[in-house]
Amino acid sequence: MPTFPSVEWFKVVGELVNKDDAFRRLGTVDARVGVKVGAQLFEVTFEAFECTGAREIGEGDLRDVDFWLEQTPEEWREMIENIREHGSADLHHTLNTIDLSKPEGFARSYDGYRRDTFYRFNQSLQHFFDVSSKIETRFTIGARS
Amino acid sequence: MADESAAPVVEIPTGLAAQAKQAGWPEDLVRELLQRGAQPADLVRYMRMGVTADQVRQFIAGQAGGEAVGPPAPQLDLSWMKVPTEWGTRARPTKKGLTMDAINIGKYGEVPDTWEYQTEMPRGAVPTLDVEGMSYSVYEKQELWSDNAAALYEEAIQRRWRPATDIPWQAIRPLPDDLERAICQVCTHLSEKAQVEADVLSGWEPELSYGYHEVKLCLASVIFEGARHTEVFRKRALCNGGGLGLQSTGWGFRSVTDARNFTEMVAIQMVLQDSFTLVQHQYGEAFAPSAAEQLIFRLAMQDKARHVAYGIAHLKYVLLHRAERRQEIERYLEKGEALLVADDRDTATREAFAILLGGGKDRIQEGLTKYEEMRRRQVQQYLERLSWATIDRRERLHPALRAYTQAPE
Repeated sequence: MPTFPSVEWFKVVGELVNKDDAFRRLGTVDARVGVKVGAQLFEVTFEAFECTGAREIGEGDLRDVDFWLEQTPEEWREMIENIREHGSADLHHTLNTIDLSKPEGFARSYDGYRRDTFYRFNQSLQHFFDVSSKIETRFTIGARS
Repeated sequence: MADESAAPVVEIPTGLAAQAKQAGWPEDLVRELLQRGAQPADLVRYMRMGVTADQVRQFIAGQAGGEAVGPPAPQLDLSWMKVPTEWGTRARPTKKGLTMDAINIGKYGEVPDTWEYQTEMPRGAVPTLDVEGMSYSVYEKQELWSDNAAALYEEAIQRRWRPATDIPWQAIRPLPDDLERAICQVCTHLSEKAQVEADVLSGWEPELSYGYHEVKLCLASVIFEGARHTEVFRKRALCNGGGLGLQSTGWGFRSVTDARNFTEMVAIQMVLQDSFTLVQHQYGEAFAPSAAEQLIFRLAMQDKARHVAYGIAHLKYVLLHRAERRQEIERYLEKGEALLVADDRDTATREAFAILLGGGKDRIQEGLTKYEEMRRRQVQQYLERLSWATIDRRERLHPALRAYTQAPE
């Protein structure tokens, strides 16, 4: 059972979408996506029709990604558990909905042009996280107990 | 009695006979061709090209089949096989397939700063003399270029969607009358706006010269997506017991339809208007009553973000290569902003959004607050994109929009 957040968790989800015809049918995705969970930072890379990798990165690397997704560990847990519960994000937990719920946004970037890849590839990115409903996730942060 | 209809026997010129012998063409074949009106110089050229006697006989047989019903057979030319284009080009597919960027190699990838031809000649082909002009009006690269145009076209093709079957229409549930009326009014507005964009861009396509086909293809995809949005929002309005609402006031449309310059149209339509529409799609997605509307708005959002990407990259290109156009572009934006603000007289769309965002007519005040948040986000994203294109409009922004750059009380 992969732990969120971890490189392993993103790679497991990446392998699932790479085998998923529905993901391929959504079209090409070219994006370097940062994921910020508390102090932990990751980069998930998409190229053409697949997720090509995931790695841990440092704060300085955020300048190189197109945008990064940032919320508290508890909010990440809520989002992933909501997806697991419903098979995909419900109306209130989509990436875009979360983005609008935060004054500073969920998708952030140092580059006003590259940030728009969050919108251009939104359905594919949503699909990526929705596919995580197929795996059991262990949380080491944002634990409720 | 002599057969007067028989063709006269023709003589084969000495040089032609020698050439024919060397090429393996029998004399009777050469004589037949001359009787049919072929010119000796043309025949010599075919022989030198390596055309065989059998190929000629097949050609004659094919022509003979058509003689009974068609016009006289044309003479072989084949000089087109020797035109001096760049030959031997072997573009290779990438992970995304054989893309437009992948075939932009050698001379075919050289995009001139000025396109010299007034015809529909493809870039990299050899011009034919005396072809009639097409009356294009945009010949300079800086007038239309955007470095991302080819990639955006490929992205649009790869990420296309079908409103009829990709939207889970069955997920739409009956809504209270006020909410149904609100979403139908919003859809009326978005459908109308998308059709205007498609129409405006369609008018500009024939103005853009052929040398910049990447931009023409990119705009063709935007036009198609305008049609798709017109379709999908109209379908949503007509599928759940409601119907269309009130026509928009159209002030903002006017600033686009009146644009006399391509960059002016791009600045107003694809940067200003589309930035604001993109945020409307974001809010539509977030406040959708069902998964169907949510997907409609999310997919429309993807398309709209591509339109903005072309527009803003074009402005950046213009300013990088023609810095003296900065004030001109600022004036276009001023005009566009003024008419966009005038569109706020469209109370129907504002109130419909407020009911949708608030969750009902009885919560319209809450919805109006969210509408103001939406406006703030529209202005913020618009300014951020302009900033990327090296345009800082915070000081020159229309006062009614500048108010949204202040921190909310």
